[in-house]
Amino acid sequence: MFAKACHPAHRARVNNAADAFTKQICEVIVGKADAVKLAVACLLARGHLLIEDIPGVGKTTLSQALARSLGLAFQRIQFTSDLLPADILGNSIFDRELQQFVFHRGPLFSQVVLIDEVNRATAKTQSALLEAMEEDHISADGVTHELPQPFFVIATQNPQHQIGTFPLPESQLDRFLMRIELGVPDRASERAMLLGMDRRAMLKELKPVFTPETLLEIQTAVRQVHASGALLDYLQDLLDASRQRHSAGLSPRAGLALLHAAQAWALMHDREMVLPEDIQAVGVSVMAHRLGHDLDQPGLSGRTLADALLHSVPVP
Amino acid sequence: MSTLRKIDTRIPRTPLLWLAAALVFTVPPMFGTLSPWVPALFLVTLALKFWMEPKGYRLRLALWKLILTTAALAAIFFSYGSLKGIEPGVSLIVVLMSLKMLEAHTAREFHVMVMVAWVLCLCGFFLAQDLSIALCLLIAFALLLVALLQFHRGPSRNTWWPPLRTAGILILQALPVIALLFLFFPRVSTGFRLLMTPSSSAAAGFSDRMSPGGIASLASSTEVAFRAEFPDGKIPRADVLYWRGVVMSAGAGMEWRARQAPAALSPSALRPPAGETTRQRITIEPHGEHWMFALDWPVQPPPGALLAPGNYLWSYQSIRKPRRYEVRSFAQHPDKNLRQRERDALLEVPPSISPRARELAQSWVAANADPRVIVISALQFFRAQGFRYSLSPGEYRKNDLDEFLFERRVGFCEHYAASFATLMRLAGVPARVVVGYLGGEYNEFGRFLLVRQSDTHAWCEVWLPEAGWTRVDPTSVVAPDRVNLGFDSFLERRGPSAETNTGAFARGWARQPIFTNLRLAWQTLNYTWDTRVLSFDAETQEAFVANVDLTKVPPLQLSVSVLLGAGALYALFVGGRHFRTRSREDRVKGLYEKFCRKAARRGAVREAWEGPAHFANRAMTLLPNESERIGRLIDAYLKLRYSAQVPAGVFEDLTREVGAFPRGKQ
Repeated sequence: MFAKACHPAHRARVNNAADAFTKQICEVIVGKADAVKLAVACLLARGHLLIEDIPGVGKTTLSQALARSLGLAFQRIQFTSDLLPADILGNSIFDRELQQFVFHRGPLFSQVVLIDEVNRATAKTQSALLEAMEEDHISADGVTHELPQPFFVIATQNPQHQIGTFPLPESQLDRFLMRIELGVPDRASERAMLLGMDRRAMLKELKPVFTPETLLEIQTAVRQVHASGALLDYLQDLLDASRQRHSAGLSPRAGLALLHAAQAWALMHDREMVLPEDIQAVGVSVMAHRLGHDLDQPGLSGRTLADALLHSVPVP
Repeated sequence: MSTLRKIDTRIPRTPLLWLAAALVFTVPPMFGTLSPWVPALFLVTLALKFWMEPKGYRLRLALWKLILTTAALAAIFFSYGSLKGIEPGVSLIVVLMSLKMLEAHTAREFHVMVMVAWVLCLCGFFLAQDLSIALCLLIAFALLLVALLQFHRGPSRNTWWPPLRTAGILILQALPVIALLFLFFPRVSTGFRLLMTPSSSAAAGFSDRMSPGGIASLASSTEVAFRAEFPDGKIPRADVLYWRGVVMSAGAGMEWRARQAPAALSPSALRPPAGETTRQRITIEPHGEHWMFALDWPVQPPPGALLAPGNYLWSYQSIRKPRRYEVRSFAQHPDKNLRQRERDALLEVPPSISPRARELAQSWVAANADPRVIVISALQFFRAQGFRYSLSPGEYRKNDLDEFLFERRVGFCEHYAASFATLMRLAGVPARVVVGYLGGEYNEFGRFLLVRQSDTHAWCEVWLPEAGWTRVDPTSVVAPDRVNLGFDSFLERRGPSAETNTGAFARGWARQPIFTNLRLAWQTLNYTWDTRVLSFDAETQEAFVANVDLTKVPPLQLSVSVLLGAGALYALFVGGRHFRTRSREDRVKGLYEKFCRKAARRGAVREAWEGPAHFANRAMTLLPNESERIGRLIDAYLKLRYSAQVPAGVFEDLTREVGAFPRGKQ
């Protein structure tokens, strides 16, 4: 809304593409524009996304809509407590004709991986995901296999008090750029949904908005959004404050995540520079799941802590 | 109760640490001047505070406070015998500060402590004004500033550097004011030397009596006796650096004394003789007596002093504050005549002298009656009979010349000087004892000679026909190095067998060139401080002000200096502007804050955590009349502060819009 002075031509194009992408998903997920925008920002910032909410509010629908609209190959994995690492990574099977073991790639070898109910799997399987998310490759039987590029994990999970869940370890949570919550839709949106088309059918209709090149262009543009010294001061003040207040403060990786998400958010709002407001807009989604483990304040959710942080650290 | 105790700890730890550090630096002047228990109590309470503060303990009950205060008052009264005067007064402040520390726990009390600590800094100057003390108190002053800054910065910013830097900047900014006040602020006649307490200027150095052991007790004192400059650049050799202090012409064996209040020499004796002279500029430390020092032979006394019989300088007033004077010494003794009456007085010996000593003296006379030969015989006696030079020769029974001459034969310079002079008188040669200083340490940096109490020395003068008064130093026969090398080197030369071998190792280290140079540099600084800063009294100030009187300066010189000064100011101004453009970010921030203040007065208050765009939106709805201006203003601000490239003129836009933003009513 302010400071739109410099308009490089391609930024406008990039911005239009991002807008179209958001719009398309909003047609499927009604009344959740904010959550959708955050999810889009997360993907544009090349981050993995975690969607947490009670069953039945459209987590899977959102993740599928995102995957389809990205125009990338995608796979869906349903996590269960008896799922083993080999089930997602792949197996080496002896080939009689070749007289040797051949690696058969698992469902993880895909550009977009939708993981449903990620916290239903045991720690063993979850840690198999770790390497894939951070390093973009996996190791099986002592051999390293590169994953396709780009590589996104969009995971959904149920709140941790639900039966049969294994809480994700902090190291795993830190690898998700954002965690968003959908929540129940408001009355009007729910009515629209009840009256409207079947969501499953709508998903099948979705056409990719991007070519892979466009996606790459947008992602490059995100990193070029300017973050001034004053903004980085604010960002670092936030990090410092979190470290002073909480036993497990924000990691440097969290700082990077915050910056990239804010850059994506600024780009989506057609700005060539990051403002403190961008950080505040993405702040809760980026920080909440990282702060939720404060042993000193067990009663407070990460969302409350992140919110308190944003409402107390002064903008320099 | 116990839970209550733990809640109201309100002084954060970091400012308290700074305050404590500052307080530690206010302590040095207290040692040696106040009763030792006062600074000790102060340090103990300081340590106690750090033990108490985390636990939440503190002095609470009014009854306890009353009892402790009364006890402190009583202790001070019994230590000094009064509550009046500088030392009891300062002690009172120190003790009350200690008690305050025990009870303090609010922000207000923290401020009180800082203020009292500043008063303590001032009190430190009442007690001592050395350069080292001044540096200590300056550090204390700066640390107090830091403590106050840290206290107001709040606990969230615990870094130590920013408040330190701010304090440094504040002090630097104050420097010109300090210099101006120092030069031009009217002051009392004593300058910065404040010696209001007679007890603190207790006699240092020797007295008008010399008895065995008196000078030896000074040998370990490193206190400065005086410093001498040689304005003509002629530095005498070490073996003639005999600084006359007092001449003792009333003798009784081993004990000699000077005249109480000498009369001035007759003007005829003050006629300067021909020959070489040595000019000396001497800064004397207070010693509570009347002597002023000069090399052999002073003829004209400096102002405020007379030349006493025996050609030594005698100040009319006892020296209780540092004094600077100039004196000229002649190589030749001015007076070649000795009247009979004087001669008789100089030959007097008490009847208590033993026949054995008399026989010894008479044996020299019998051998050869020429005074010169008698002197040589006597020196030969000291050299040949196994006399030893020692700092701690042991106790002699009062006035026992025989024990020294014939049995123990161990002594310090005063033993030799006293016994030699007595023997000369017994042999019929007029003799007297001179007490003063021998040698000193020459400082290359400051070009002055530092003479310490440990350089105290006693020697003899005998009257020889034709030559007049002639200096004879019997110590030089027994320990020649003492004269040639100076006292410190002499001790060192004697090696581990010397009595002071405990310090030999440290002394060896201290002789390393780097330490010697450091020591000399430090002495020079001290000397400069004493002569340039502390001695800048009312008189000097008047002279200085008269010097800078502008009416006396030639007009051309005046105009040139004014132009130069203006040029320098302009350069400073331009430099400052240049410096400011580099920190434009700060100016942008300042303008934004100004806008926020203006908006707040009109009801749109920015929350500290609120980002600028967010606030602008809110302000636009709150102040619809100004919404366009706010839009333009914040647009410029965001570009300046957050974007990569700022188009020209945006800063001016921001300045204009912020300036034009209506201030509104309170």
